[in-house]
Amino acid sequence: MNIDKVEGADFTVIGLEGDVDLSCSPDARRSILDVLETKKNLLIDLAKVSYIDSSGVASLVEGYQTAKKRTLKFGLVGISDAVMSVLKLARLDKVFPIYDSVAEFEKEDA
Amino acid sequence: MPEADNHPVINSLELVGHSTIKLIEEAGYCFTLLFESLFWILVGPFIKRPVRISSIFSQMMTMGVAACPIVFVLSFSIGVMLAIQMIYNLRTFGAESQVVVGVAFSVTREFGPLITGILIAGRTGSSLAAKIGTMQVNQEIDALRVMGINPVRYLVAPTLFAMIVMLPVLTFFSDLAGLLGGAIYTNIEIGLSFDAYLDRTLTALAVADVMQGIFKSIIFALIITLVGVSNGFSVTGGAEGVGKATTRSVVLSISYIVIADMIFTYFLNL
Amino acid sequence: MKNNKSAIEVNDLVTHYGPREILHGIDLSINEDEIMIIMGGSGSGKSTLLRYLLGLGTPSSGSINLLGKDITKISNNEMHQLRQNMGVAFQGGALLSSMTVGENVKLPLREHTNLDEKTMEIMARMKLEVVNLGGFEKMMPAELSGGMIKRAALARAIVMDPKLMFFDEPSAGLDPVVSAELDELILELRDAMKMTIVVVTHELESAFKIADRITVLDQGNILMTDTVENIKNSDNERIQSLLNRRPSNDEVQADEYLNRLTGI
Repeated sequence: MNIDKVEGADFTVIGLEGDVDLSCSPDARRSILDVLETKKNLLIDLAKVSYIDSSGVASLVEGYQTAKKRTLKFGLVGISDAVMSVLKLARLDKVFPIYDSVAEFEKEDA
Repeated sequence: MPEADNHPVINSLELVGHSTIKLIEEAGYCFTLLFESLFWILVGPFIKRPVRISSIFSQMMTMGVAACPIVFVLSFSIGVMLAIQMIYNLRTFGAESQVVVGVAFSVTREFGPLITGILIAGRTGSSLAAKIGTMQVNQEIDALRVMGINPVRYLVAPTLFAMIVMLPVLTFFSDLAGLLGGAIYTNIEIGLSFDAYLDRTLTALAVADVMQGIFKSIIFALIITLVGVSNGFSVTGGAEGVGKATTRSVVLSISYIVIADMIFTYFLNL
Repeated sequence: MKNNKSAIEVNDLVTHYGPREILHGIDLSINEDEIMIIMGGSGSGKSTLLRYLLGLGTPSSGSINLLGKDITKISNNEMHQLRQNMGVAFQGGALLSSMTVGENVKLPLREHTNLDEKTMEIMARMKLEVVNLGGFEKMMPAELSGGMIKRAALARAIVMDPKLMFFDEPSAGLDPVVSAELDELILELRDAMKMTIVVVTHELESAFKIADRITVLDQGNILMTDTVENIKNSDNERIQSLLNRRPSNDEVQADEYLNRLTGI
């Protein structure tokens, strides 16, 4: 799994790539929480994720909860069908704010 | 079929043979469990599959600390009983004051470890057999195995560890309670002061006397755990099987404890 | 069939219980992403087959390949690794009665991973949500109904996102509604998690609903392994009697029968 970070105007985009599974989801979690620590809005790009397991999803859930607590904006972008079906299984597709593009996230007010 | 099969003598011989084989099989199984547990205790932490410390402590609490009151009551009574008997006997020789030495030896070398062993066999050995037997019947043992959790590491090793630590501790506690019982009765009956009683006890006892009892209690700890656990694992046939295994494990543990006690007492006093 | 890579491959499996031969040379191949139902009456050997697939017994001969590894030959360590990719939902649930539902579900994570406590917590709750038991994590197994225990056990089985999932009589003891929900869930799991699923059952209705293929076992032999359609249309008498719940009327061999009765 690769993690890359792109800094936007008032938000950060974390791009995850490859398999997000038990072995690397702790790293993803750390980066997500680190960004939120700096009080920046966070968008997570999952377009290049080939597989995400529940530990990965759990990290996203924790990130979203943390963002909410700090009244920061949080969103997911680039959800593939494979990722969507995993989210749907736990009925999280209705929970996460899901965006079609980075621009849409940027436009919307926090 | 040949007629010899139905001959009563042959039949009973066959029965003896079967039971012997079963006994040897069981002993073998107990040793396997022992070595496997030791493996997990010693090697487990280095291959990232340690025996859970929290489980060891909780077992120590339930089998050790929680047993203190009953161990105290029984050992105290044994102490009093020994003092009564010895004073009665020694009176014939006019040597009542020698009761101190008699109680001290009997309690530390024999009755402390024995009564504690038997008590814990009834209390913890039975609950071990019942617990593991129920888990076996409910497929919980299978569930552990398919989850990649070795049942010996998860269930047996912590119990064995806790037992090997706690039974000697309880035995020592039992020694103290027994001596206290003896002291109180002696004080009432022949008016020997506590100071004098303590003084004479300490003079009479060598460290080796207490150690002999402690050593035996370690053997008893192995017997109680392995007999309880192996009976639990071999449960078949539902709730009734659990009941049978529980009874069997208590009877066997107590028998083995008494026999082992005899053997070790003989060899330790050669 | 979506793809033909096999996840489970059994070759000429022979097993004994004591001196009695139970399985007489089973050959079975289950593809990735496939839902395979193993059917058969009681005494057909289907539960035995499951036990051996789970690596809970040592076969007399034959091989069992799970995810490309022959479990009759691999080392304990490899088996330990493999087990982290296997989930099993036992018939009676087999939750550990000494811990809460939540702790039960978290148990595999605790034993096999170094995930943060918070992550484990969320994962366990997510899986309980998946099986419709959200909010039950603080309860003890003894406080749950049979159906709830089975679902909690399923949550535990899938908490590590296994590649292989085994169900032993999933609908036994459940009311029809819950049982139908469980069938839906099995289908969803396969689709979302790309699991290979083996279900041992004698419930025809649910078998026909979820199966990609069905294997019919009878007296330790495989009668047939085929799609639902072909099984239904099979002209094998024993399969038909199983499907139509007719008692099987074996031809009585007079001499042999007499010998059995008199014990000679």
